Amino acid sequence: MIVPRALSRRLPSRLTSESLLLGGATLYVAVFCLLPLLRLLAEPLAADTGGGWQMVVRVLGARATTTAFWNTLEAGLASTLLAVVVGGGLAIVVGLTTVRARGLLTFICLIPLLIPAQIAALAWLELAGPNSPLLRLIGLGVATGQRNPLYSAGGVIWLLGLEHAPMVFLAARAGLRALPNDLVEAARMAGARGPRIVLTIVLPLLRPALLAGAALAFVSAIGNFGVSALLGIPGRFPMLTTLIYRRLNGFGPDVLAEVAVLAMILAGLAGAGLLLQAWAWGRQNRHAARDTAALAPLPLGRWRLLVEGGLWLFLGLTALMPLAALTGAALAPALGVATTWDSATLDHFRAVFANPVMLRALTNSFTLATVAGGVGLVVAAPLAYFIVTRRAPLARALNYIADMPYALPGIILSISCILLYLKPLPGLGIGLYNSFWILLVAYLGRFLALSLRPAMAGVAQIDPALEEAARVAGAGPMARFFAIVLPLAAPAAAAGGLLVFLAAFNELTVSALLWSAGHETLGVMVFSLTDEGNSNAAAAVSVIAVLATLAVALAATVFARAARLPKGVLPWQD
Amino acid sequence: MRSLLIAIAAVFGLGLASAQAQSPAPAATTKTDLMLYTSQPQDMLNAMISVFNRSHPEITVHFFRSGTTEVMNKLEAEYAAGAPQPDLLLVANALDLSQMKAKDRLLAYPEAPTAGYDPAIHDPDHRYFATKRITTGIAYNTKLVQDPPKSWKDLLDRRFKGQVIMPSPLYSGAAALHVGTMTASPAFGWAYYEALAENGALAGRGNGSVMEAVASGQSAVGIIVDFMALNAKAKGSPVDFVFPSDGVSVITEPVAILKTARNPAGAKVFIDWLLSAEGQAFAAEQGYLPALPGVAAPKTFPAGFVDPLLISVDPEILIKDDEQTKRTFSDLFGG
Repeated sequence: MIVPRALSRRLPSRLTSESLLLGGATLYVAVFCLLPLLRLLAEPLAADTGGGWQMVVRVLGARATTTAFWNTLEAGLASTLLAVVVGGGLAIVVGLTTVRARGLLTFICLIPLLIPAQIAALAWLELAGPNSPLLRLIGLGVATGQRNPLYSAGGVIWLLGLEHAPMVFLAARAGLRALPNDLVEAARMAGARGPRIVLTIVLPLLRPALLAGAALAFVSAIGNFGVSALLGIPGRFPMLTTLIYRRLNGFGPDVLAEVAVLAMILAGLAGAGLLLQAWAWGRQNRHAARDTAALAPLPLGRWRLLVEGGLWLFLGLTALMPLAALTGAALAPALGVATTWDSATLDHFRAVFANPVMLRALTNSFTLATVAGGVGLVVAAPLAYFIVTRRAPLARALNYIADMPYALPGIILSISCILLYLKPLPGLGIGLYNSFWILLVAYLGRFLALSLRPAMAGVAQIDPALEEAARVAGAGPMARFFAIVLPLAAPAAAAGGLLVFLAAFNELTVSALLWSAGHETLGVMVFSLTDEGNSNAAAAVSVIAVLATLAVALAATVFARAARLPKGVLPWQD
Repeated sequence: MRSLLIAIAAVFGLGLASAQAQSPAPAATTKTDLMLYTSQPQDMLNAMISVFNRSHPEITVHFFRSGTTEVMNKLEAEYAAGAPQPDLLLVANALDLSQMKAKDRLLAYPEAPTAGYDPAIHDPDHRYFATKRITTGIAYNTKLVQDPPKSWKDLLDRRFKGQVIMPSPLYSGAAALHVGTMTASPAFGWAYYEALAENGALAGRGNGSVMEAVASGQSAVGIIVDFMALNAKAKGSPVDFVFPSDGVSVITEPVAILKTARNPAGAKVFIDWLLSAEGQAFAAEQGYLPALPGVAAPKTFPAGFVDPLLISVDPEILIKDDEQTKRTFSDLFGG
């Protein structure tokens, strides 16, 4: 739709409405993302006791800090590499070839997103432990009396890589969707076959998407808490997140200033990752318009069975076995007792449903996830448009600022929110602390980046010629946004909203310090139950959480079909 | 597009409505509400509250539950905000409460029904009261360990290399007191923990993480509170518990009323019940060693159980060294 020049000139609010859009987006980022972090930045210098530059120097020079820094960098880079290989590889095989059951395979690839990191870690510990059926199967079973191999740097890297592979997978899939079929078609007509097409055409074109996914995976890995806490702490592989958590847990608000310095180191690492990503975007050719036919799948021919077999084996071991272990633990009669058909019991599920706290936690998490996803979706599209089409300093700043609450470990954002909202809001006299609202405010800041990335990818894929044409025809920025950008970017933005829902539903680290009596979240409940030595109940809650997530996903699928939403709105739909 | 926007609006509306439905009701605005901050496992807490409500249905008990250090840090933040929430604190060890007492945050309750108790177990100024006795000893996996350790020194044996897990004092109040006690005791000291580290011992998080590791066979041996291991054994987990011959540390899980409590009367009713013979018997039913002499030890405890040897050190030292203990431990075992 192109707004006639006359009409747009008659709109007195053209500039105003644009300012409104940008102003709103800026305000959102400022309030939910920037404000808490500014408050945190002020903390080391504001601290009455032990603050100031001497403290900063002391923290920077401490051996614990250096160790945690290098460990974080190592685990972040290595796990990102793994995530790119796994996520990118799966995306190409599942998204580009003629393997059967692609919808189901895609969904299985995304399973790690549905399982909270701490539960995935627990499930893997059981799989890899002294009595592991999996390791025995492949002849690697450790003798009893030996440490679980996952309590190590390697264990942390392995799990972080698998946990974040879906992020690369989603980015690569989005990139694949944007690839024009013409090029592949041309190559095919010129006689090129599968592997060659992938290597010489698809991969180079996919590089920006892979890099974008990798940056997200890296940033998530260095901010991850569930895995680094459950595998890294016992494995004596401290990372910045666990160092911060343990300092805070052990020493309380007194060390807020020290922790703020550690948080800034982490922010620096995340910032480096984000700069790399920005650089990659800058080099990207703005090739793809989505007006060519969708990519036709590459035929696998006689290799199909082999590829399919390998695919199912890999996904079975990495995505389904942990789920099976989780279910087994939920049905086990007691800790450390094997689940058999005879011993299986539903007692833990009964206990969950008899527990009022648990039911409240389910409701709270669902509400938080829905609102965070919905708001993220509404805010991300205009913000992404602003960031991608305007390369003004403000836009770039907004981009980085929006990333920060997500890049930083959740526990830092929660500390920032405590600092900010502990006292009643000036002038209003309303205290957010110890209420549901502080969780919501934190979630709104935390997950913006998660909805923004896909939205930006969506906006970036729009052929600038379209907008240019509209501009020449006289359409104002608002008209161009609503008529051209929004419809084209909406599927990606919706995918972002969905990612937010999935992440927020199982969120742990932000909630860990912000929840209060009556305002429990699912992630906190799972973590608490595990901590209490009641991991069977934790497993039961997790199974319920996973089932609930699946139910939501199914409902969304039905809705998407009924409303005829375009393909790609739901990540697992082809 | 329009339907999408409507859907979003509906979602937002739903969220707000449901958030509003939950968010008010700050604890203890009426006489019948009580807010408890505690480190007790929540299923045991739910059971305890329902038994309490049989005789006191007029009091609704809300709670915030986490590891002791996290509970105390949350409360610290609430003090900074000027709005401490709980009426009652029920946390692992007396160290935390004596620090609260030192800051003059606890309400004295001289009328508390302490008759029959050893006076030494409660605060002499009636600001906090022991509710049970929890010792820290050694749990082992019965499938992995044929010759169980009998003393703390046994954990330094080469056969347990890399097989010992313990809770972290940075998380657990019981662990903080235990490490403080061991390191302040001349028989052990930091040399013991250095030797443990040398032997590849791991630090988990709370006692629950230790239970998990030992029961599932990830670690053969764990340093842990008695009731957790003995309860798991009773439920059929392949674990057993040893009271080490060279002594155990003990925590009393004290309860206290905050000066800022909104419902001190209700809080007193709750404390009365905890200290009553009925409350103590229920604690034993849950697998806790009662604090009131004469109440039978839990069925989960070994037959003919007699109080084990205690490692005793001056509480003043524990309080003074608390932070340094955590730092040194963290240096030795990571974090």
